[in-house]
Amino acid sequence: MLSQRTANLIFIVIILAACAYFAWEAEGFSTSGLLASSGLPSKFFPQLLLGIMAVCAAFIGYLYLVRGAAGGDAGGTVFENKTEARQGILMLPVAAACYVIWRSFGFLPMAIVMGPLSLLAMGVRAPWFYVIVLAMTALVALTFTYGLGIQLI
Amino acid sequence: MFDAAALISAFGLLADPLTMLLLVVGILLGLVIGILPGLGPPIAIALALPFTFHLDTVASMVLLLGIYSAAIYGGSISAIAVGIPGTGAAIATVLDGHNMFKSGRGGEALGFSLTGSIIGGLFSAACLALIAPLLADLAVKFGPREYLAISVFGLIVVVRVAGQSLPKGLLIGALGIFLTTWGLDELNGTERYTFGSYNLYEGLPLVPFLVGLFAMSEVLIGAERVARRIEFSTDSLVVKLPGLKTLAGMKDLILRSSVIGTVIGIIPGEGAAVGAFFAYSEAKRRSKTPEAYGTGIPEGIVAPETANNATVGGALVPTLTLGVPGSPAAAVLLGALLIQGLTPGPKLFSEEPDLMYAIFTGLFLINILMMVIGLVAIRFAAQLIRVPTAVIVPTVMLLSFVGIYSVSNSFFNVGVLLGAGILGYVTRKLGYSIAPLSIGFVLGPILENSLRQSLTIADGSVTEFFDTPIGLTIYAALLLTIFWGPVTSRIKRRMGK
Repeated sequence: MLSQRTANLIFIVIILAACAYFAWEAEGFSTSGLLASSGLPSKFFPQLLLGIMAVCAAFIGYLYLVRGAAGGDAGGTVFENKTEARQGILMLPVAAACYVIWRSFGFLPMAIVMGPLSLLAMGVRAPWFYVIVLAMTALVALTFTYGLGIQLI
Repeated sequence: MFDAAALISAFGLLADPLTMLLLVVGILLGLVIGILPGLGPPIAIALALPFTFHLDTVASMVLLLGIYSAAIYGGSISAIAVGIPGTGAAIATVLDGHNMFKSGRGGEALGFSLTGSIIGGLFSAACLALIAPLLADLAVKFGPREYLAISVFGLIVVVRVAGQSLPKGLLIGALGIFLTTWGLDELNGTERYTFGSYNLYEGLPLVPFLVGLFAMSEVLIGAERVARRIEFSTDSLVVKLPGLKTLAGMKDLILRSSVIGTVIGIIPGEGAAVGAFFAYSEAKRRSKTPEAYGTGIPEGIVAPETANNATVGGALVPTLTLGVPGSPAAAVLLGALLIQGLTPGPKLFSEEPDLMYAIFTGLFLINILMMVIGLVAIRFAAQLIRVPTAVIVPTVMLLSFVGIYSVSNSFFNVGVLLGAGILGYVTRKLGYSIAPLSIGFVLGPILENSLRQSLTIADGSVTEFFDTPIGLTIYAALLLTIFWGPVTSRIKRRMGK
């Protein structure tokens, strides 16, 4: 299984790369007119925070590299087992797909596929779960459409 | 100070049938969500937030406060019945509560938990009513330097208590603040990280971000645990309230836990879980029989349950008077006030006295009604622990999607919800606490504006930052919070040698 050490080190690299990118992006902030000379420049605060984040990330990276842990997670794994990993990771594309379906095809197709897709991602096979989830979907949709008057469909 | 006319007006607002109905609905919803393992008060409030968009301010606050109080209490029911805390605030209750349940004293355990929660809730509501107006009077005099000190205090405290790693807490807290720098600079209108999208001109929206962080990340984590079945006996789930004599014997414990809970609630950033643990360890430390704690004794339930519900009123003190949330749940409540077009802070007391008194009185009512509802509904509500995660996960996800969309008819906000959910999921899986992230996201704008204004006032001099008695007191309190524990333990170690 993916260890906390490896996962955290990858995360740290991403954070450091993101800090560098956003700090560079902040250099391009431009204020026009009289406001430009008033107070601290707009880039000051974001760059200060990015600096703090980078220092913390570097320190956490050092802890994982040298001690193998940061905060009592030595030898720990990100997921308990393969099933949990598959279910958790599969839910991410399901959530993203539902968002895309809603934007592209409307609420109804999204509402219809969200429950069954989630259950499939979670490895649920019992048919009655699908029935209950679809009933709950209908209940939520009806509550918002008729109870609160939201234009969903 | 005390405003009799506003109090009478508040009673009038609360007497509205819809408001009363929402108060009851809030308590029931809070109980239900609190009982379901994993779904705590911030998620409960976050899921109800979109509904408040369609309600007036008093009705929406009453609904959310009912959910907040009842969700904290509800967590103890699953902690006692199945040994799985419904909320983080109920973790300390598991030890003694579940042991009492296993020995056939579940009804007694539930009675102690209910009574402790009510007393803690009422105590903190009284403290809120007394302290908040005084603090608001003082806070009117606050300038940027004082707000900067409070924000730094809140953030550092939450970073310290959230999780086992200080650098991880700092990193995630800074990330939360950094994300608030996106959008137009409030002081000079500069575009920052807008990536050419007009949606980002106002920055990342607070409510979708918080709902994503709490509810969506929990959905994703819940999807991993779908196979776990929960079975338990409901035979001893009839609440047996403790007698007055029993309670009188615990008066010191109850008073101490109420004070601990309220004070910890007031400290920005601390939450119900910290209050419950602190009260539990204090009760154990002061007990003549500390070894009995954890074996199934009433004191081990009363202490954490009194304290965790006492944090509710406490957490509202800085939230309402300063706009600085006292807990992650209070951060989401702050979002509710913003949805209503209100800016939490000292001016709220002079501009909306009716609302303030309605909140104080509403909290009292909620706690009294929680007693009645708790007595009647616990046995039925406890059955909800058996609701399969496979049903909860897609339902909560759909509720989050639709709820956020309904607030502003914006797909961008749904995208933020999704992004925040994935960020929350990844960081939680990697051992980061999302409490500093959420508090950082709420405090970010206050922190940046007060820092920049302070620097302008001080003409670049850092020493000027401390040239304010209130600010200096806050920084001193912060240093005390940080160094008190290590210094005293070092002294004790030396004395021991």
